[in-house]
Amino acid sequence: MDAIVQLQRQFVDYTTSLYRDGFLDDQFTQLQKLQDESNPDFVVEVVNLFFEDSEKLLNNLATALQQQIVDYKQVDAHVHQFKGSSSSIGAQRVKNACVAFRNYCEERDPEGCVRCLQQLKREHYLMKSKLETLFRLEQQILAAGGSVPMMT
Amino acid sequence: MDLNSEIHEDSIQEQQKHFHVLAVDDSLIDRKLLERLLTISSYQVTCVDSGKKALEYLGLLDNTDNDSTANSSSSSCTSSSQQEVPGTKVNLIMTDYSMPEMSGYDLLKRVKGSSWKNIPVVLMSSENVPSRIDMCLEGGAEEFLLKPVQLSDLRKLQSHLLNFMDIENNNKKKKKKDDEEDDDNDDNSNNKNENNAYKRKAMSIEPSERRPNMKELVVV
Repeated sequence: MDAIVQLQRQFVDYTTSLYRDGFLDDQFTQLQKLQDESNPDFVVEVVNLFFEDSEKLLNNLATALQQQIVDYKQVDAHVHQFKGSSSSIGAQRVKNACVAFRNYCEERDPEGCVRCLQQLKREHYLMKSKLETLFRLEQQILAAGGSVPMMT
Repeated sequence: MDLNSEIHEDSIQEQQKHFHVLAVDDSLIDRKLLERLLTISSYQVTCVDSGKKALEYLGLLDNTDNDSTANSSSSSCTSSSQQEVPGTKVNLIMTDYSMPEMSGYDLLKRVKGSSWKNIPVVLMSSENVPSRIDMCLEGGAEEFLLKPVQLSDLRKLQSHLLNFMDIENNNKKKKKKDDEEDDDNDDNSNNKNENNAYKRKAMSIEPSERRPNMKELVVV
């Protein structure tokens, strides 16, 4: 029983820190509401979709920015998509990185855009590793026979 | 009196159970989200990834070959009415605004200019652009929702739609009673006034009520 309580406490602390540090926002909480017995893996599924999608977007962005003549409309379209999907899962810092990126697109600033892409990659990988940690904690709780605390 | 209103409510809920929503969004993630939101709210859902596919589903495009397109496009969500001939029953369309090739606004106009003009169309967008919202509402959109769409948005939409369905039902009853086409004009004008009232409500309430995080600045 002790082990479960420990894990649950770890989970709550970790989740709280993710919200506090701005990695996650309310939309992530909304995602949890859509998960139930009939769809027990919904959050993980959506998050996995997001990371698959965003890997492609990051590659597309890198390619687009490497062109001799950069098509900023295309770059902006990719970033807009990235902004939308990160907003949909509550990945706040990723979303904010996209917002900043779009400003540089508008300025048609190639160096600014490259810097933004680097920042976006960093935020993306940070988010990925933090969510992996979170899901791992969930699995540990479930494996120990406990239930995952609901964050409200 | 009480018994009548109870029966009335039952039939509304019955109708809601079989309420079929056509969801249009080019984002796979948003389609998955929307499908889940709608399913949890007890709607039947069909998802398509473009305005063109939506028109095909509604039977509004020239090619009548519906089977291959309708099934292949609902990638991330399953249609619970796959046995039905596509395009026979849609009660509500929910569409993203920004889509390549055909925008949600274009889709709205096409639907409103067709035999499907009486079904409600709800637009969604991640961007809070008042002129865009106005344009869509003026173009006949029932509601304009800001993304990410949440359960609370659907709850509000539900009560809005129940009123909408109520009017539609009353109109149908009236049409059954009266044989004359003259009454249709009266019904339509009443309908329009009711709809305009909802649209005005959406415009005045939506922007302030809908922003859960006031700290969020809209930077495009």
